[in-house]
Amino acid sequence: MSISAICFIAVLTAVLSLSIRRQNHEISFLITLCGGIIIFISVLLNISSLFETVKRLFDSASIEQSYIVILLKVIGLCFMSEFAVDCCIDAGQRALADNVSMAGKVLILVSALPLYKDVLNTVLSLTGGSV
Amino acid sequence: MDVDMIFKIAAVGIIVAVLNQLLVRSGREEQAMLTTLAGLIVVLSMLVTQISNLFGTIKQLFGL
Repeated sequence: MSISAICFIAVLTAVLSLSIRRQNHEISFLITLCGGIIIFISVLLNISSLFETVKRLFDSASIEQSYIVILLKVIGLCFMSEFAVDCCIDAGQRALADNVSMAGKVLILVSALPLYKDVLNTVLSLTGGSV
Repeated sequence: MDVDMIFKIAAVGIIVAVLNQLLVRSGREEQAMLTTLAGLIVVLSMLVTQISNLFGTIKQLFGL
């Protein structure tokens, strides 16, 4: 989907949501949610070509394949939790949004733990110790 | 998944708002409340598949 289509959808969603807000608050929020989902999915369908390029770059730099898996996983976690957090803030639920944000941070940290271990091992091998 | 979805939801919202006003004016507050609830459930059931579609796409794309 081109950028003009995305801008059009965003403006259309904003206008429709605003025009219905006074009569029906819940439906207004759901319209916003629907517009967000449409834009998000159209972006995600284009992103796979980017991944191919990144994978090829990592291959040519002979970086281990498990690192890129972790990287992609962390990016996905970021996207997902950010979407949920923004929806919760739109719905006026700050506490819920903060909880989701914290959960996302913790899960990102957990999935990046093997990298920390590798860094630690490298440092220890330089200094001559072991874990 | 298209722009039609937004128009559909907006149409449901407008219809529900009009029905709500009519029922409130004719003194049937409970039915007005139930109409609002029904509209909300209809729109939510339309959106739930899209939300699961979005999260499924993210999961499949990023290997979560």
